[in-house]
Amino acid sequence: MMPAACFCPCLIAAMFAHLFTGPLLAPKYLHWMWQGFLLTLWLTALTVVFSTLLGMLLAAARSSEIGLLRRPAAAITALFRNTPLLVQLLFWYFGVPSLFPDGMMDWLNADHVLSLAGPFAMHWPSFEFLAALCGLVCYSTTYISEEVRSGMRGVAPAQALAGSALGMTRWQVLRYITLPQAVRLSLPSLLGQYMNALKNTSLTMGIGLAELSYTARQVESETFLAFQAFGVATLLYIAAIAVIESAGYVHLRTCRARQGKA
Amino acid sequence: MQPHPSLTPLLLALALVSGAAHADRLDDIKKAGVLRVAAFDGNPPFGYVDGASKKIVGLDIDYANALGKKLGVKVEIVPTNPANRIPLLTSNKVDLVFANFTITEDRAKVIDFSLPYIASGQQFLAKKGVLKSAGDIRKVRVGTDKGTTMETTLREKYPDTKVVLYDDTPLGLAALRNGNIQAFSQDGTKLTAILAALPDKEKYEIPPFAISEEYEGIGAPKGETRLVTYLNDWLRELEANGTAATIYDRWFGPDSAQPLPRLFKIGDTRLSQK
Amino acid sequence: MMDFRILLDNLPYLLWGNYPDGALGGAALTVLLSAGSAILSAVLGLALGILLAEGRGSWHKLLLLALGFLRAIPVLMLIFWTYFLLPIAFGIDVPGVLSVMAALSLIGGAYLAHSVAAGIAGIGEGQWQAGMSLGLSRLAVLRHVILPQALQIMLPSFVNQWVTLIKDSSLAYIVGVGELSFVAAQVNSRLMVYPAEVFLFVGILYFLLCSGLEQCAMWLGRFFQPARIAARRMSVNRQRSPSFSYHHEADPHRPHG
Repeated sequence: MMPAACFCPCLIAAMFAHLFTGPLLAPKYLHWMWQGFLLTLWLTALTVVFSTLLGMLLAAARSSEIGLLRRPAAAITALFRNTPLLVQLLFWYFGVPSLFPDGMMDWLNADHVLSLAGPFAMHWPSFEFLAALCGLVCYSTTYISEEVRSGMRGVAPAQALAGSALGMTRWQVLRYITLPQAVRLSLPSLLGQYMNALKNTSLTMGIGLAELSYTARQVESETFLAFQAFGVATLLYIAAIAVIESAGYVHLRTCRARQGKA
Repeated sequence: MQPHPSLTPLLLALALVSGAAHADRLDDIKKAGVLRVAAFDGNPPFGYVDGASKKIVGLDIDYANALGKKLGVKVEIVPTNPANRIPLLTSNKVDLVFANFTITEDRAKVIDFSLPYIASGQQFLAKKGVLKSAGDIRKVRVGTDKGTTMETTLREKYPDTKVVLYDDTPLGLAALRNGNIQAFSQDGTKLTAILAALPDKEKYEIPPFAISEEYEGIGAPKGETRLVTYLNDWLRELEANGTAATIYDRWFGPDSAQPLPRLFKIGDTRLSQK
Repeated sequence: MMDFRILLDNLPYLLWGNYPDGALGGAALTVLLSAGSAILSAVLGLALGILLAEGRGSWHKLLLLALGFLRAIPVLMLIFWTYFLLPIAFGIDVPGVLSVMAALSLIGGAYLAHSVAAGIAGIGEGQWQAGMSLGLSRLAVLRHVILPQALQIMLPSFVNQWVTLIKDSSLAYIVGVGELSFVAAQVNSRLMVYPAEVFLFVGILYFLLCSGLEQCAMWLGRFFQPARIAARRMSVNRQRSPSFSYHHEADPHRPHG
């Protein structure tokens, strides 16, 4: 068993040994990768926001008594969970446009600018970004809805009954009583799903989105410094994951402190 | 924390193994009886999957098979996309690369090339009327493959143009048809074959300008001088006995789907002017 | 609208690649690749999980760090490392399928290690004490008392890991391994004008594979529930000693109560 424990750290050490023995990347290439990293973070942030909101709705639908809501929700969940994210992304980027009428694709690919106050303007994102966001949100929503459902099971049923007794509709009970508590209860597992969302953004390199893995590949093709390029990308991913994990850890500690536990 | 004493020799051994020398590659190939070749599987007519037989065929495959016959070994084709060509060589997953591999100085620092056996220029495929001259490139979104000279040239000559990189040519083509990019850049020879195979070819054109000259050779691992010399002699022999011309005619000759005059012969130093 | 007939021509190629004329590919390779990775990650997860549950000191912390690293890195990155970069670092040549299996097993093993450790920790302290009071060593208690119970409860999560691995195997396309998504991209490149049909069809194939496995996991979960395990053990005991019974015999002459 000792060899098994030794093997993993050795493997990881060997991976990074070459990082320090070869030439370092020029600042130009580090800048590319930094831009890719920022895009990764932005895509993850948007995915997290949209999939949490939609996940809560989907969780509510799946625990609904109305069969017309519950069955399609269960079908959607099964569909997006049992197919690989890569195939879903390829379908959204390459497959779906072939089904659209011609004019729609021209509109989606054109650069629309929304001028805000003063010098600020919002640019319509590229189709790569839209397809990536769509695919990631659909995939993450199903996993987040599962976590929220477990959280909902942790909320005492008496609360929902009390809400109905006060004359609240089922939707109001969900919106003001059940879901907020469910999300808070399932926050540790939700953070796990957010970390998965960050790692899943690496798949979008296949549809042309210039995020971190794409730029790492680009740098590797230009400089042939494979270890350095992929090493920097790996370190950046680990840094981002570590930040999310420490956020979870801090939240856990403050929760415990608030509840008066040691 | 002190490292466990028995680990140090293990780590040292690993470090040594990583720089291990190997016997001459040419002898290795002959001894193993198999030549591992990286070739495209989605880039007609250089390497693509034939619809009927489901096998990879193409101009590069013909060259690889001819070499296999000369060496007296079996040829194993490893399908690749442009970005994986050099990593496959450096990680010793293949012996040679026959994949429309452009010879550049930067690449020659990490791998060795044979003489060029085919030449072309970097051109564009776009919907009719979109690109009338090279200057129009600045205005459109251009797509190309990751890990190709197209990417580098576009960045050098047209730094303001938005370039989107795809893993392989067919994916870039799909993006062109969907309108995600307005032009797709590749070798002129490849684009001619692609245009001929498009079901709706009347909508597309290849504007008659090229923004670079590309000379493609066989990729070999760095430092294998005996192997490279063997390849160069073999290529000259192919040209001399007319095999090179035969292979070219099979894919680009007057009876093929994409006729192109042969402007470059093995041993030429540059593409003859059109 | 969508035309699916074109896919019937390519169905054999999608299902098993060029076999027997060439290497196995397509859905068959996906199943083999994921099964191999599942077995390897189960073995690795078991070994590391036991170490995690029983280990102490600085080695334990190092292991936690290594497992944390494996869970933090995207699968695509690890496939790049094992396929291209480790051969250069170690100077050995590993074929494509094996290096993808290695990457998937490492990540799967890291996740399973935590599940196994949690499963072992979930077995009551009483079991440990009972075993040790019988004079068994700690390792013997682990092997004969704790692990059998823990593994039965964790079996569904092992099968769920297999489902995840089937999906992760699709990433092997980036290094040219001819599994289902790689073959699908090849077919799509050749047909050119049917991307929606090809990717939808391939999605359905994956869906069938994963759903089938998930049903097995659910069935296993029901079969190995603690209550049913206890009930089966009871029925075995009843067979061994007929006088031992929780159920009253259906004897009308016997007073109830």
